[in-house]
Amino acid sequence: MAATASAAPAESELDRSGAEDEPRSAEPEEDGGNGQAGPIAAAQQHRLAKLPLSRIKALMKADPDVSLASQESVFIIAKATELFVEMIAKDALVYAQQGKRKTLQRKDLDNAIEAIDEFAFLEGTLD
Amino acid sequence: MAERPEDLNLPNAVITRIIKEALPDGVNVSKEARRAISQAASVFVLYATSCANNFAMKAKRKTLNAGDVMSAMEEMEFERFLQPLREALEAYKKGQKGKKEASEQKRKDKEKNSTDENDKSRDEEDEHMDDEQEGENEGEEEDVEN
Repeated sequence: MAATASAAPAESELDRSGAEDEPRSAEPEEDGGNGQAGPIAAAQQHRLAKLPLSRIKALMKADPDVSLASQESVFIIAKATELFVEMIAKDALVYAQQGKRKTLQRKDLDNAIEAIDEFAFLEGTLD
Repeated sequence: MAERPEDLNLPNAVITRIIKEALPDGVNVSKEARRAISQAASVFVLYATSCANNFAMKAKRKTLNAGDVMSAMEEMEFERFLQPLREALEAYKKGQKGKKEASEQKRKDKEKNSTDENDKSRDEEDEHMDDEQEGENEGEEEDVEN
């Protein structure tokens, strides 16, 4: 995908949008084409989120209705996905334990999805 | 390079790590279960994005922001995520601000001492390149031509 050079114009878009939900002073504008802040800021991001933001972003872009997404929104979705994985793993474990197993299996996932309201959106979506 | 949602997976190693850290020691996870969780996570991203985007569109904004994602979490009945997400967002914002100030400072220093510090700043940049390799190069551009 794009190298850092092309990040500069898009960056000001991002920062402006990031500033939509907070005072502008928190995020100095990148109008000067400060491409340097890009990679450095990006390097910091990944320490707070375990999932790679680039992959999350690529998934988000797959939605034709999504035009732009702030850096923060990508980060928050990454973080939420992490919480989701933790939650579904723990909920599925209950079923494994009921079956007196120490290994989580696919059917435990299926049971959790069927039983738990929050996972209803997953029905019919997994192979 | 057309990427269809079906082709986009989250890295197995990371998913596995998140699962392992959530579960007690001694519990194993079958390959099929891991694969299913990874798929579910991708679906979660797509669903959350779509939901968040609805909030942005309702507010007549073209750019999805963190607040839209929070609203989406509520809508999706994941209120339990809201508090940890708010905390993570605060930490993230602080990190962003700190990094930008640091890079602004570096840039000013470089401009002041351009001849002397050429080698030094190149070394610093190498350090950052290492960070970049272990993390993200693409945190910035969001333009989508759809």
